[in-house]
Amino acid sequence: MASILGDLPSFDPHNFSQHRPSDPSNPSRMVPTTYRPTHNRTLPPPDQVITTEVKNILIRSFYQRAEEKLRPKRPATDHLAAEHVNKHFRAASSSSSTQGL
Amino acid sequence: MSVWNYAVTAQKPTCVTHSCVGNFTSPQELNLIVAKSTRIEIHLLSPQGLQTILDVPLYGRIATLELFRPHGEAQDFLFVATERYKFCVLQWDYESSELITRAMGDVSDRIGRPTDNGQIGIIDPDCRLIGLHLYDGLFKVIPFDNKGQLKEAFNIRLEELQVLDIKFLYGCTKPTIAVLYQDNKDARHVKTYEVSLKDKDFVEGPWSQNNLDNGADLLIPVPSPLCGVLIIGEETIVYCSANAFKAIPIRPSITKAYGRVDLDGSRYLLGDHSGLIHLLVITHEKEKVTGLKIELLGETSIASSISYLDNAVVFVGSSYGDSQLIKLNLQPDATGSYVEILEKYVNLGPIVDFCVVDLERQGQGQVVTCSGAYKDGSLRIVRNGIGINEQASVELQGIKGMWSLKSSIDEAFDTFLVVSFISETRILAMNIEDELEETEIEGFLSQVQTLFCHDAVYNQLVQVTSNSVRLVSSTTRELRNKWDAPAGFAVNVATANASQVLLATGGGHLVYLEIGDGTLTEVKHVLLEYEVSCLDINPIGDNPNYSQLAAVGMWTDISVRIFVLPDLTLITKEQLGGEIIPRSVLLCAFEGISYLLCALGDGHLLNFQLDTSSGKLRDRKKVSLGTQPITLRTFSSKSATHVFAASDRPAVIYSNNKKLLYSNVNLKEVSHMCPFNSAAFPDSLAIAREGELTIGTIDDIQKLHIRTIPIGEHARRICHQEQTRTFAICCLRNQPSAEESEMHFVRLLDAQSFEFLSTYPLDAFEYGCSILSCSFTDDKNVYYCVGTAYVLPEENEPTKGRILVFIVEEGRLQLITEKETKGAVYSLNAFNGKLLAAINQKIQLYKWMLRDDGTRELQSECGHHGHILALYVQTRGDFIVVGDLMKSISLLIYKHEEGAIEERARDYNANWMAAVEILDDDIYLGADNCFNLFTVKKNNDGATDEERARMEVVGEYHIGEFVNRFRHGSLVMRLPDSEIGQIPTVIFGTVSGMIGVIASLPQEQYAFLEKLQTSLRKVIKGVGGLSHEQWRIIQQREKNCGSEELLGWRSD
Repeated sequence: MASILGDLPSFDPHNFSQHRPSDPSNPSRMVPTTYRPTHNRTLPPPDQVITTEVKNILIRSFYQRAEEKLRPKRPATDHLAAEHVNKHFRAASSSSSTQGL
Repeated sequence: MSVWNYAVTAQKPTCVTHSCVGNFTSPQELNLIVAKSTRIEIHLLSPQGLQTILDVPLYGRIATLELFRPHGEAQDFLFVATERYKFCVLQWDYESSELITRAMGDVSDRIGRPTDNGQIGIIDPDCRLIGLHLYDGLFKVIPFDNKGQLKEAFNIRLEELQVLDIKFLYGCTKPTIAVLYQDNKDARHVKTYEVSLKDKDFVEGPWSQNNLDNGADLLIPVPSPLCGVLIIGEETIVYCSANAFKAIPIRPSITKAYGRVDLDGSRYLLGDHSGLIHLLVITHEKEKVTGLKIELLGETSIASSISYLDNAVVFVGSSYGDSQLIKLNLQPDATGSYVEILEKYVNLGPIVDFCVVDLERQGQGQVVTCSGAYKDGSLRIVRNGIGINEQASVELQGIKGMWSLKSSIDEAFDTFLVVSFISETRILAMNIEDELEETEIEGFLSQVQTLFCHDAVYNQLVQVTSNSVRLVSSTTRELRNKWDAPAGFAVNVATANASQVLLATGGGHLVYLEIGDGTLTEVKHVLLEYEVSCLDINPIGDNPNYSQLAAVGMWTDISVRIFVLPDLTLITKEQLGGEIIPRSVLLCAFEGISYLLCALGDGHLLNFQLDTSSGKLRDRKKVSLGTQPITLRTFSSKSATHVFAASDRPAVIYSNNKKLLYSNVNLKEVSHMCPFNSAAFPDSLAIAREGELTIGTIDDIQKLHIRTIPIGEHARRICHQEQTRTFAICCLRNQPSAEESEMHFVRLLDAQSFEFLSTYPLDAFEYGCSILSCSFTDDKNVYYCVGTAYVLPEENEPTKGRILVFIVEEGRLQLITEKETKGAVYSLNAFNGKLLAAINQKIQLYKWMLRDDGTRELQSECGHHGHILALYVQTRGDFIVVGDLMKSISLLIYKHEEGAIEERARDYNANWMAAVEILDDDIYLGADNCFNLFTVKKNNDGATDEERARMEVVGEYHIGEFVNRFRHGSLVMRLPDSEIGQIPTVIFGTVSGMIGVIASLPQEQYAFLEKLQTSLRKVIKGVGGLSHEQWRIIQQREKNCGSEELLGWRSD
């Protein structure tokens, strides 16, 4: 019967081929150099500083429902759809301010 | 006052919490990435094994770590999220070998209850989104756009509140998660959801599975083509997908970690709570799952992560024991195990307790920790010193001296090792098979003791014996010239360099010879008034082959003298004082400064700065290295010169910032040492000790040296008793088969050998909580006191415990008396010749009373109520500092006249304490369970009682580690003449295996370091764009606690 551990994946046959097991009773300590970056690419591109959408889940669902209601009534052209977006934004600001109160 | 405190790391965190494998550093290279608390280590897989590339400190505690491959990228990116809700995506830039940040952000929400089961961070296998579960009832989505850029994150309501695990499923047209959760009747189910990125909501998923194993805790997503998910329970393993369901029973176990073996996901490694590794196989036919099989492979450390690397080699990361590199063999060995352990990587965590001792009484502290958990429990002896990595050794008795020689002066490597004995000299050399074998140098005398040997100019070798100096060709090995000592004047001591020989014969004759091409010329001879005890002409000037100066140590007048060569003109005579003769002198230069080192016969070492032109000696310093005569030798390691001081306490002398420093070598006794840099053993030392010749390399200077004493059970408390040279520990053993799953013991260990000497088993359900070595008023004996608690399953808090008092007699623990208590004895302290115990919410003082029959008992004297749980207690004089479970630190005072304990002051913050220590009369140090350190100050000058009763927080610092114990002490040798010895330090140990030091600095020094830290913040950037300033802040306040991580300084 073939071993259950047969055909274990090999990505590079050389890996570990010359590994000399050290004395297992004498644990080795890997002491690598410590990385201390001084370059300025530790900061991501400005558009990749991610934040969470501030809109509350409930309010988001209100809009989505409102959007769904509006849509079948006026199968809109691209131009009109853009208008809707504008309306949403106004509604968004007003409702979030009422939330705040 | 110890207001100005500075925290330093002596040992970085060692416990492995996460690991993953991928092509991170280049498309062709396979990397293992390991997370250790606040650090990431990047390793490279190579033919030789794992190569560590970099240790990356992160300004946050790592909560999740994932490698992923965005569309269109040739190599993997690393996603890291921290416990404080920051995340970053890191990429390795192959060109510059730098980590660059592709994206970062803050994923915290202002409201939300943090999850109980830890944070979950997962990445869709098709890289459409990152999913995060950070707060109950919320699933956060960070979508990728089609260019692999991250977009604004949003939250989705997740109905399931008690989530155990979430994973993305493979092979779904829409990103789909499987959620393992527990309902309000404690039943466990799995549900799937599709994530609709457009609607920012969940859509009911393809399948769900109710009523799983009650212990189901882990989901493993299975890749295409099989897809689906494995649900790992404690008694069953289930495979589940939209159209298949397979289950197998397993031996009851809690799976802690898994690692996928095959890319198609047909085999997995599962690691359980007892360290057993199983192979789980999904059998399938034509992409249909037909069944599951599970097979026990063997035992490893208890795994916290498992990463299959390559060619049957697996990394087992552990936070309870040493992490391991294992190989899975095709066939089981004699014990039935398929697992072969290739390598172990030291892990000190969790450090539950430790003590600082000076076992060898050499003025240098060693830390003995209770490390690891369950079967991986151990004691670790951590000391600052230099380890020798033994490469080869042979048994050789009676070595009197050793020198290495080259076969030609220009050779890079040494060929010969000359070993001298009392009446013979043997020459060893490396043969073709890299073995050391005996050879001959014909021109050398082999039937006598050699006093000195050296390589000489013109491919010559020089040997000095008691009768002659012999000059030998290193190529023909034949004698070219010799100088004979006058009859009746035997050579006593000799030294040489490549072109000079200096020797002294009986009667105080000092003879100076110069070496030419086949010539040996006696240049000068002087008669001194006393016998010479030691001499040296090590070149420290510009010419490496010629010394302008000679140092000579004298008998009788106990002096050291400096002569100018070649005329042997005396220019300096320094009286050493005392009656101990100098045994070894050495001229050496460190960092451009010349020194004269002079070792005495009693293990003391004097060092002087030497003015090479005038020969003047100044800045005399004396240190004690050992108790036996010292022999000094220079050697180089990593292109720096060091001096090896061989004695009963061998040490290495080196220079740092133009100061001489001493570091112990972790060998018991070394009689002789010489550098031996052979091709087979480059940069090695030959060391003669205890009847053995050892060849080894030397560790990095100033590294902690760790020795492991595996005990196979979980040690929780440790205490050292100097008088009996023993340690006592409280420990527990898990026995899964027995009726009671845990057994607790008090064990006595020999302080030298760490062998168990004696064991006292505690009662059923009785836990050892505290241990103390102390003595009492009117009783000269020393005792071990152990505080216990009866932890009964039906009780919320223990209501019963004991204080056991033991004496050590003939290496055994003898119970002298016991006292029942009304709760858990969390802490014991010696206090004014009495015993102070913290018992649940109470502090209780006991007197040591003599009964009429001559036996002893503990008698309650007084107490103090008013704590939630008094967990940690420290005392100083009549003051008692209590660290409470949730009421921070309070200060009590014992009033002798009234025989009462009263509260004097408290910190009114609601800190949940993890450890306390007293820094000085007025400043107390605390660690809380939010990974903070803080100091509070007693207010002596308050105008009102109320003000004086309030302690002021004077220092705060986010250490980012859970501290379990503080102890006063130092890991470095405290030299009486150095100002460092005066800085009070406290050592701490943490759950992740970190050992740190808190040093109380003078204000000016603190101010300097703080300024330096502020400046360094501008130069050294936080990896992933994380801010150092924010990381170290607690509640927007940071006072009087600096950190070393930017400074990179060490506690010396």
